Amino acid sequence: MAVLQKKSKVSDEIPSSSMADIAFLLLIFFLVTTVFPKDKGLAIVLPEPNADEVDINPTNLMFFLIQPGGTINVKRGESEQIQPITANQVEGVWRTDFAQNENLIAVVQTHPEAAYRHMIDVLDGLQSAGADKISLQIQEGG
Amino acid sequence: MAIKGGGFSRKSSASDKIPDSSLADIAFLLLIFFMVTTVFRTDKEQDIIWPAAEATEKIDEKRDDILNIWLTTAGEIFINDQPLTMDQVRPIVAPIYADSDRRLVVSIRSDREVPYRLINEMQDQLKAAGVVRVVFATELEQRMTRARR
Repeated sequence: MAVLQKKSKVSDEIPSSSMADIAFLLLIFFLVTTVFPKDKGLAIVLPEPNADEVDINPTNLMFFLIQPGGTINVKRGESEQIQPITANQVEGVWRTDFAQNENLIAVVQTHPEAAYRHMIDVLDGLQSAGADKISLQIQEGG
Repeated sequence: MAIKGGGFSRKSSASDKIPDSSLADIAFLLLIFFMVTTVFRTDKEQDIIWPAAEATEKIDEKRDDILNIWLTTAGEIFINDQPLTMDQVRPIVAPIYADSDRRLVVSIRSDREVPYRLINEMQDQLKAAGVVRVVFATELEQRMTRARR
């Protein structure tokens, strides 16, 4: 029986040398397009739209009045006395007062023209101090 | 005629090639990692300077349940890349909130210098839309930078 075996020059392997190149190309594409989600911030809970108004004893209120320049004035209850503080002091002031009165509610009253970051600074201080009863208000007639 | 190496040519069993057979595997592993972590952005990031806060927390909510509202220094408002006026916020947010089974969290992404008046109006709009869970988007602030302020 005559054997006619042709010697083939074509390789019988799948060329895999370019596989890494393809993978790297895809890798670079995903590296460039990846945007890691940036979902973080200071969480608050707004009151329900038809929530009942509750009368609160003024002695349980602590006002943080934020002025346009970023000055923070602290006013306690009905007292007219004003204590100016810096944003760094908010946390300490709240901790001291809260230790004396556990029903204390923080009222952050911001001037309409005050920058957002000043309000964030105060809110940050209060949340760092673990305050959970915070009311965000705007100064009327400002 | 001198013979190179004194005639002793040692047969080395170690290959002189860098093994590259696992290169593709490494690349594919990285590729799969990035494919899995990639989230194509849902809305365009507006040009704002983030306020910083130390108490910054990660929002523990699915991405689909977070709605970003952008506020720029120019007073522009954007929801899903759409420029809006303040009065349009409530009618747009209310149906989105209803569709989400009241799980929706609104992330207020405002520039740090925006006057508080706008933030207050935004809160009123959201309150009217029935939204209760709101996040003021901030960057994490380190204690070191805070001390310098």
